[in-house]
Amino acid sequence: MGLALSLYLRSVALKIVIVGVGEVGFHIASRLAMENKDVVVIDYDPEALKRVSESIDVQTVAGSGSSPAILEEAGIREAEIMLAVTDSDEVNLVACLMADSLSPTTKKLARLRAADFDRYHDTFKANAPHIDTVINPDIEVIRTIERLMSVPGAADVGEFADGRIKFVGVYLDPDSRLAGVRLADLPTVLKEDRPLIAAVVRDDQLIIPKGDNHLRAGDLVYFISEKKNLFKHLSIFDKHATPVKRVLIVGGGRIGYRLAKQLEDKSISCKVIEKRASQCDYLADRLERTVVLHGDGSDQSLLVEENIHDIDLVVTLTGDEETNIITSLLVKRLGARKTITQINKFSYFSLMSTIGIEQVVSPRLSAINTILQHIRRGKVLSAISIKGEEGEVMEALALPTSDIVSKPLKKIAFPKGSMVAGIIRKETIIIPGGDSVIEPQDRIIIFATRKAIPGVEKILAVKLEYI
Amino acid sequence: MRWRYILNTVGVLTLFFGGTMLLPLAFDLVAMDRSLMPLVKAMGITLVCGAVLMALFRHEKTETMSQREGMAIVSLGWTAIGLFGALPFYFSDASFIFVDAIFESVSGFTTTGSSILTDIEGLSPGLLIWRSFIQWLGGMGIIVLSIAILPFLGVGGMQLYKAEVPSPVPDKLKPRIRDTAMILWKVYALFTVAETLLLMVGGMTFFDALNHAFTTMPTGGFSTKNASVAHFDSVYIDVVIIVFMLLAGINFSLHYQLLKGRPLAFWKDSECRFYLAMCLILTLVVGADIYRTVYADAGQALRYAAFQVVSIVTTTGYATADYELWPGMSQVIIFLCMFVGASAGSTGGGMKCLRIMLCFKYCYKELFSMIHPRAVTRIKIGGKTVPEDVVRSVLGFLALYMALFALSTVLLAGTGVDFVTALGAVAATIGNIGPGFGMVGPVENFAQIPYWGKWLLSWCMLLGRLEIYTFIIIVVPEFWRK
Repeated sequence: MGLALSLYLRSVALKIVIVGVGEVGFHIASRLAMENKDVVVIDYDPEALKRVSESIDVQTVAGSGSSPAILEEAGIREAEIMLAVTDSDEVNLVACLMADSLSPTTKKLARLRAADFDRYHDTFKANAPHIDTVINPDIEVIRTIERLMSVPGAADVGEFADGRIKFVGVYLDPDSRLAGVRLADLPTVLKEDRPLIAAVVRDDQLIIPKGDNHLRAGDLVYFISEKKNLFKHLSIFDKHATPVKRVLIVGGGRIGYRLAKQLEDKSISCKVIEKRASQCDYLADRLERTVVLHGDGSDQSLLVEENIHDIDLVVTLTGDEETNIITSLLVKRLGARKTITQINKFSYFSLMSTIGIEQVVSPRLSAINTILQHIRRGKVLSAISIKGEEGEVMEALALPTSDIVSKPLKKIAFPKGSMVAGIIRKETIIIPGGDSVIEPQDRIIIFATRKAIPGVEKILAVKLEYI
Repeated sequence: MRWRYILNTVGVLTLFFGGTMLLPLAFDLVAMDRSLMPLVKAMGITLVCGAVLMALFRHEKTETMSQREGMAIVSLGWTAIGLFGALPFYFSDASFIFVDAIFESVSGFTTTGSSILTDIEGLSPGLLIWRSFIQWLGGMGIIVLSIAILPFLGVGGMQLYKAEVPSPVPDKLKPRIRDTAMILWKVYALFTVAETLLLMVGGMTFFDALNHAFTTMPTGGFSTKNASVAHFDSVYIDVVIIVFMLLAGINFSLHYQLLKGRPLAFWKDSECRFYLAMCLILTLVVGADIYRTVYADAGQALRYAAFQVVSIVTTTGYATADYELWPGMSQVIIFLCMFVGASAGSTGGGMKCLRIMLCFKYCYKELFSMIHPRAVTRIKIGGKTVPEDVVRSVLGFLALYMALFALSTVLLAGTGVDFVTALGAVAATIGNIGPGFGMVGPVENFAQIPYWGKWLLSWCMLLGRLEIYTFIIIVVPEFWRK
C-alpha cells in the first residue's frame, strides 16, 4: 500500500508556481518546463503571459501574485515550490505571505533585490516563517565576476565546498601543448599532477569526454581542481596569474554599483562610467573612493582621458548587451588588459569566443543558478549552469538510502552524459576513478548535460522502498 | 517680523536670566560675601526690566516662529543678557567703569575668557563665582537652557536653537527639541561635576575646582588666579584640565552617544577624528619646536605644548606658559589654531573643524575635477554627501569670518594699538579664545585696550559666539524690510 502510494506520488511531476514573468521568471519557467516539471506562471500583464504560453509549455494565470484568489487559482495548495520573482520586492514579500497562509507546506522563495535587504537575508530565514529563502541573483553575478577576476584566463569559474574546490573553464589556445592530445594519453604528455577534465564544450555541444576523445584548439575545457592546485593547473593551460589593481566599470546600474562597492572594500581602485546623470548622482552619493564619470562607455576620448591603457580590467555592465560587446572590443583595442562582458542572450555565447571576448557574465544565468539549487530534488547543495545552459554542475549530498552509495562507481548506472567529478569526504577531496566508492554523507560533484539531469536527480533521490 | 512678539520673548529670556541669578545669590548668602548687595541690586533690575518688557509687549498666543524672528530674538536676547550680566560687576566694590563691566560680562557669556582685570585674586569670592557662572551659562547656551526648562518656548524652540547653536549640519538627538536641549544640558552638567571632583582630588579647594570646572566645560578660560592654571603648577591638574578641554571641544551629541553605550562614537565621527588628530600632531610639532629652545626637558616641553595647543584649539584660553616667548613657528601655529577652533556642536568657538574640513575637501574636489573633467564628485563627511547649499553657506561663512576679522583688525589698529596686538586681540575675541598676542598675550590682559577698542572687541565676541550669521544679519538692511 505504502509502495503503491509512493509510486503514485513519484509519477506526479514537481509543481512549481512562479510569480512574475520578467526576465528571470521567464527563463526559470522555460528551463523547468524543458525538464518536464509542472509550471504555473502568474503575472498581471496578459501580453507577457501570451508570449510565455506561445513559447513554452506552462500554464498561465493573469492577475496579481499578491492576491490570495489568484494564488489559489494557480494551485498554490498543490505546489511544492513557489518562486516570487516580480520586479517589486514588496509584491514578492506579500506573495510569500499570502502563499504561506494558504499553503504552509509549500517552499517559498522570494527575490529581494534592494541592497538594504542584504544584511537581513538570514534574519528573514529565521524570523519570517512565510519566506523559506531569500534570493538575490545580483549577489551571484558579483560573485561570478569576482571569481573570474581571481582566476586568470578563465572563461567560467564555479565553486564548491565553500570555495575549496573550483571548477574552471578555459579556452584551449592553438599553440597549447594539449591541443590534439587524446585524453587517455594525458598522463604521458603531462608528467606533473594534472587536473580532471570533466567536460568539453565544442561547437556549442557539451561533451562529457571519455578516454578516446581528443582535445582540440578552441575547445572550452572544464576541469576540477582543488584551490591549492589551481594556479599550477592553470599554468598547464598557459594561463598565468596577474593581480587586478585598477578596474573600470562601464554601466553603473544595480550590478555596477554593487561591484564598485565590493571593489572599494577590497581596496581596488575603481572607476565607473555611467550615461544617466541622475544615476551618476546616485552613485556619487553612495560610493566613497570610486571615481564616478558621467559619459558614454563607448566614447573613445573619455576612455583615453581616463588612461584606459593602464586599466587591468574593464567590466561592461550596461543594460544593452550590444553596447557591452562593442565597448569591450573597443577598450581591448585601446589597451585594457582584460574584459568581462555582461551578456544575456544565450545565443550570443557561442559567438563571443569567435570575436575575442572570453569572459562573459550573465545575470540571467546567475539568477537561474541561484534558484536551481533550491528546486533540484534530492539533497542538492548547489547547482551551476555551464555556458549557455547546455549542462549543469551539481554539488549533492549522498544520502545513505540512495542508489549511489557503498558500491564502486563503475557499477553504478549513471545516466549517459553525466559523470562524478569529485567526492568531498569531510576535509579531504577525492578525484574519483572507476573503483572509488561513495560513502553516505559524502558530498559529490556531478557534471551532467541537460538531457541527463532528470536521470541524475533520480539516482540522487532516496530509493523507492525507503519512502 | 512681529516686534511685540520678539520683544516679549526677549523679556521672558531676561526674566529667566534674572532667575538664574538665584544660584550665585545662594552662594553669597551662605558665604555672607561682600558682593551680595550688588548682586541683589542687579537681580532686581534684571527682573523688573524683564517683567516690564513682557508686560509692555503682551501678544496673542502664537503657533509659529520664523527663522528671522528666531535670529532677532537670539541677537537681542544675547545683547540684553550681556548688558544685565554686567550689572553685578558695575555695582561691585571693584570699581569697574561701565565699558569694562560690559567687556567682562560679554567675555564671560561668550566663553571668550579675555579679561580687563589686572588683579583677579583681589575680587571677592562671590564676584569670582559670578564671573565663572556666566561662562558656564553661556557655554551650552542660556537660550538652550531656557528651551529645556521653559515649556512655552516649545513652539519656536527649533528656530531659537538653530540661531544659538548654529552648526553646518544640526543634530537633533530626540524627536522633540526640548528633550534635545535637556540632554545637552544634562551631559554638560555631568561633566562639570566630574571635573570638579577630579580637580579636588588633585588638591584644589572646592571653590577653585568648581570655578575651573565652570570655565573649562564651556571652553571659557576665566581663572580665579592671576597666573591662570600656571598658579597650581601640577602635572595632574594640567592633565585633568587638558582632558576636559578636549572633551568640551567635541560635539556634545557624540558624548550623548558615548553615554548611551556606543564606545566607538568618537572614532566613527570623522570631524572628531580630525579634531583629535590635529591636537595630537600640533602638540608634537610645537613640543619638538620648544624642546631645547625653551625647555631642556622633553617631558616639560610636551606638557606645556599640549596644554597651550589644546587650550587654544578648544578656544578655552587658560595658560600655563607664555607662548609669546616661544620660537616663531610655535607662535604662528598657535595663532592659526585660533581660527580653526573646536568641533561643531561643542561649546568651543572659532571657525570649527567641520568647516575647515569642508573647505579642504572643496579645494580637493576642485583639483580632482581638473584631473577628471567628467567626474561626478561629491563632498562627503563621514560617508554622507554634504548638500551643495550647506557647502556654499560654509564657504560664505569662512569668507565672512575672514572679512570681519580683517575689518575689525583695521578698526582696532585705528584706536591706537600696535599691529601684533590688533591681529591677536581680534583673532582671540572673534574666536572666543581669550589671550591673544602683543599687549594682550597670555600673561597680560585687555586693560590697556583703548575705550572704543573694548566696545569693538565686545562686539567681536558676540559675533563669534553666535557664529557670525545670526548676529551680522541684523545689520543687513534686507532683514528689516517688511
